[in-house]
Amino acid sequence: MSDAANSAPVLQVDGLVKHFAVTRGLIRRKTIGLVRAVEDVSFEIARGETLALVGESGCGKSTTGRLILRLMDPTAGSVRFKGKEIADLDKDALRRMRRHMQIIFQDPYASLNPRMTVGEILAEPLRVHEIGDDASRAARGRELLEIVGLLPEHARRYPHQFSGGQRQRIGIARALAANPDLIVCDEPVSALDVSIQAQIVNLLQNLQQRFGLSYLFIAHDLAVVKHISDRVAVMYLGKLVEIADKKTLYDRPLHPYTQALLAAIPKPDPALRTKRVMLQGDVPSPFRPPTGCRFHTRCPHAQARCSAEEPLLREAAPGHRVACHFFETIPAPTILARAGLANGKFAARLAAFEAAKTARAPG
Amino acid sequence: MDTLLEVRGLKTHFATDRGLFRAVDGISFSVPRGRTIGLVGESGCGKSVTSLSVMGLVPSPPGKVEAEAVLFGNRDVLRLTADERRKLRGGKMSMIFQEPMTSLNPVHTVGQQIIEAILAHTAMTPRAARARAIEMLELVRIPSAAQRIDDFPHNMSGGMRQRVMIAMALSCEPALLIADEPTTALDVTIQAQILDLLSDLQRRLGMAILIITHDLGVIAEVADQVLVMYAGRIVESADVNDLFADPQHPYTIGLLGSIPRIDVDRKRLATIEGTVPSPNNQPAGCRFAPRCPFADQRCRLDPPPLRDISPGHQVACWKAPVEVAS
Ligand SMILES: Nc1ncnc2c1ncn2[C@@H]1O[C@H](COP(=O)(O)OP(=O)(O)OP(=O)(O)O)[C@@H](O)[C@H]1O
Ligand SMILES: Nc1ncnc2c1ncn2[C@@H]1O[C@H](COP(=O)(O)OP(=O)(O)OP(=O)(O)O)[C@@H](O)[C@H]1O
Ligand code: SF4
Ligand SMILES: [Mg+2]
Ligand SMILES: [Mg+2]
Repeated sequence: MSDAANSAPVLQVDGLVKHFAVTRGLIRRKTIGLVRAVEDVSFEIARGETLALVGESGCGKSTTGRLILRLMDPTAGSVRFKGKEIADLDKDALRRMRRHMQIIFQDPYASLNPRMTVGEILAEPLRVHEIGDDASRAARGRELLEIVGLLPEHARRYPHQFSGGQRQRIGIARALAANPDLIVCDEPVSALDVSIQAQIVNLLQNLQQRFGLSYLFIAHDLAVVKHISDRVAVMYLGKLVEIADKKTLYDRPLHPYTQALLAAIPKPDPALRTKRVMLQGDVPSPFRPPTGCRFHTRCPHAQARCSAEEPLLREAAPGHRVACHFFETIPAPTILARAGLANGKFAARLAAFEAAKTARAPG
Repeated sequence: MDTLLEVRGLKTHFATDRGLFRAVDGISFSVPRGRTIGLVGESGCGKSVTSLSVMGLVPSPPGKVEAEAVLFGNRDVLRLTADERRKLRGGKMSMIFQEPMTSLNPVHTVGQQIIEAILAHTAMTPRAARARAIEMLELVRIPSAAQRIDDFPHNMSGGMRQRVMIAMALSCEPALLIADEPTTALDVTIQAQILDLLSDLQRRLGMAILIITHDLGVIAEVADQVLVMYAGRIVESADVNDLFADPQHPYTIGLLGSIPRIDVDRKRLATIEGTVPSPNNQPAGCRFAPRCPFADQRCRLDPPPLRDISPGHQVACWKAPVEVAS
């Protein structure tokens, strides 16, 4: 969305910090440490734009998403939605604002009320925000089910009667119910199989074009991210280490961690089943993050300065920021082995499949 | 090859108020010792129900599991007593569940849960079991494992909970591991480490793995043999190299076409139109016919049998392989 970048951002996140106290003991809980889940994270999202947030498990992606919706209080920092600081909103104003800001949760199992039918689940956000009457809410629910590829009669069923992927689609339908401006998508497709994943990704893109939606798309699948995002932010251990538009990030990743992430993507081709270029070393503890650059314990390019001094997020090119002391001199990686699937008979068969599909499509 | 698990004619259905849901409808496969079998297919096609049936964990009622046989070693697991099954589960036969949050108990620490699993299936002392639990958490790359062991599940990230499940399933060195979407919540670097850990354990212990996933990248990486499932049935079965180089069933072709790729720029992903039919309302002929671009009258009327196309490669499609037909 190139022209979107010019208009005022929908979301501005500035210096966001979240520490969790870790406590022990049943009677007298005492704090034994802090999990530094999010540490000084800043970014913006424009109207109609998709910013992807990627990074290792436990690096603070979901926490960032929750802080944006103020499902928990930040330790420090500011979140502005359409120019308004959400920390300043009272309970009522926050509730009204939430209509415009929705979340699709990572765990579809835990996020759907098992005692409500799907129809009730979909009507709930509308009821909370006092939109429509019972009949129009039910109609909207049926429409939403169709939008996400389920059947209108599914409205009478309960969540446990659906498979994992079907439940995720219910979560997406619920997020869409009140026509929001921004949706935080927390791993919305990682529980889905590829064909439905493809349908949902295409669906999210269609909805974005139709309604000018903005997405914060949290994911760990860099292939999906490449497909859906406009820009990508990479997190490591609570910090942003690189942010750039999609093309730049995939073609010219500058941070060694981004380079390692791209190299670790499994290639859908058993002929390429060689040893992956794997990131060495263990994920450091967020209790005691490494000094200096948090990545230095695993970085193949680390030098003495890296453990002593924390790198700033510096501009490498307009819109491309990198937190590494040495990004100017690190050799370009030879990743992205062009994967197969081109060989064998697959390509010809897929072409036949697509051709037959087009021939059948009405109109 | 030395077969560890053999499933013959498995049928699992659920009695609901809207009729009988035939979630798994007559499937057969076997898992040899020391090998990895991949089970792929769209959401709702019956993958989890298949694994729960083998584990004896289908809730009954409403579920009912029938089969000619489900042989583990030389014992038919469907004919074991509840007690014998419990003994088997988590010990020789272990499962990583798809839903880490619902299968971890929220009121116990993750350590208590892993230790309990170890104590139930080994002769270890509680102290040794705790050390073992920490070791397992380290193996699945939980940082500060000795501290995090006392965390409750809700204090952990989604991917960490998934790794706790993996640690628990591996803690008793099972002969068969059923892994239902074991890496969906993990990023690629940890996923790569976990997959390596599984193949390492496989080499060391001769563990057999049935891995269920929708990620064909993972399948390409770890599976020896692949079963493609659609609407409760197996529609294609092949050696992994064959499946990717020479996919025969239109459904398999569509699945491979919908993989998002980082090396190919596409505006829209190829998709298979429509959705999996509801298990109480299956099409009469080929179950894929309503979504298949190649379907004709015969496809809609007669169910195609699973037949050998070449040695070790079976397909259930009247038109396979498709380029000849179209
Ligand atoms: N309520 C909580 N109490 C204590 N620690 C927490 C809490 N929620 C999250 N954390 C910790 O904060 C860190 C970041 O967690 P978060 O869920 O944001 O990770 P994530 O990047 O979303 O990971 P994943 O990809 O695995 O979902 C983790 O170390 C996690 O254990
Ligand atoms: N307890 C139940 N009662 C009724 N129907 C059920 C029950 N459990 C599963 N089903 C149905 O059985 C079918 C197969 O479900 P299953 O969970 O095996 O799918 P899956 O292939 O694992 O999908 P996913 O990839 O989404 O996890 C689904 O249509 C589901 O709705
Ligand atoms: S049998 Fe017919 S309908 Fe079924 S997959 Fe093959 S071509 Fe399609
Ligand atoms: Mg998360
Ligand atoms: Mg499942």
